[in-house]
Amino acid sequence: MCLGIPMKVSAVDGFNARCEAKGVSRDVSLFMMQHETVSPGDWVMVHVGYAIQKMTETEARSAWEIFDQILEATEQPA
Amino acid sequence: MADPATTWLDRIRGLDLPERIRIMNVCGGHERSISMAGLRGALPAAIELIPGPGCPVCICPEEDVYEAIQIARREPVILVTFGDMLRVPVNLPRREIRSLEQAKAAGADIRPIASPLEATAIARDNPDTPVVFFAAGFETTTAPVAAMLAGGVPDNLSVLLSGRRTWPAVAMLLEGETPGFDALIAPGHVATIMGPEEWSFVVENHDIPSAVSGFTPESLLAGMYSVLRQHLEGKLFLDNCYEEVARPGGNPTARDHLERVMDVVPAKWRGIGEIPASGYALRPEYAGRDARRRYPGYADEGRKRAGQMPQGCDCARVVLGKIYPNQCRIYGSACTPRDPVGPCMVSDEGACRIWWSAGIRSEDAA
Ligand code: SF4
Repeated sequence: MCLGIPMKVSAVDGFNARCEAKGVSRDVSLFMMQHETVSPGDWVMVHVGYAIQKMTETEARSAWEIFDQILEATEQPA
Repeated sequence: MADPATTWLDRIRGLDLPERIRIMNVCGGHERSISMAGLRGALPAAIELIPGPGCPVCICPEEDVYEAIQIARREPVILVTFGDMLRVPVNLPRREIRSLEQAKAAGADIRPIASPLEATAIARDNPDTPVVFFAAGFETTTAPVAAMLAGGVPDNLSVLLSGRRTWPAVAMLLEGETPGFDALIAPGHVATIMGPEEWSFVVENHDIPSAVSGFTPESLLAGMYSVLRQHLEGKLFLDNCYEEVARPGGNPTARDHLERVMDVVPAKWRGIGEIPASGYALRPEYAGRDARRRYPGYADEGRKRAGQMPQGCDCARVVLGKIYPNQCRIYGSACTPRDPVGPCMVSDEGACRIWWSAGIRSEDAA
């Protein structure tokens, strides 16, 4: 539950952003990003459905490398 | 060109290390990256990486889980909670209902969610049914809960809040006689919300080298290199190896939501006891949203073993970094992810669960 996931913003509608990562699309709340402008094309760190900060694509991609490993390990039957 | 993680490893290997140095992390996400990337095996033997209080599910008060189970069973409600909470056992005899998962199997309407947004959606879709959101978590999760409440929620939604703050647990360790670590890697996403500055007390009051890190092996190794150099050179400061995301002052909107919706209070940690200023409670303006007010009398703190870890489970010492997960006598034998005894084996952020998933077995040296 505490895993922050980097996602790419594809559309913004008020406090609601459509975000994508790994081909999965999700609604993300921008309610905690009111101090910043978030636009399509931006990358955000998402925590339990809320964007908590913007990040660069480079940072997002290197974060995904380790997450791929983690997800693979957690998907294996215990 | 060598990849950045290898470069940091080489730099660390090139340091003139003391015989033993213990670096604690206080975040399940950090521990997961460390274990999955195999950093322990890659680092010089002198460096011990200790998983500390980084699992909110593990320390969520037993009384709160018990309360959630009772509300779900005895009140005509839908109870929603983060999936990890479902299998956390309370201290009751085996024949009784001991987890939310068992209560669900017995007919209670309990639904796992991954976001506060799902809690509001469920409340909206079921306007005639009270919905209780059992919300356990550290700052990274509690701030979104505060944001949810600040944004306005349907009248039928209430919150059973078990929010906790990370740094007071570290302060408690440092004020104890044997803190058990020589350097700290501070949690990147807690710092993203609250600001890295929250952790400067570790350096300033306790002379412990510290660095905020992100979740890639590169950022973690950069943090380790920093604290090792600080230790060797005696020049201590709070370093930030996750600058891009964990910015000075944190996330001002998130902090504002937290301040408006919640007060900081002393709070219990399972198996550990009360830690000053380590919890969140709803402010009086939000009292109407408090599930404890709507459904009082269910915590039953007088029960036998209320508040403790399950019998035979060493989670409290694992959480405090006093022992490694595989030093628990029943790690991997009586306690496995399939049949967990303690919350540290239940939660994805629990050190026992992480170590087991990473393939560490009880016979392996820590
Ligand atoms: S291995 Fe199981 S019983 Fe032992 S400390 Fe971890 S969770 Fe508790």
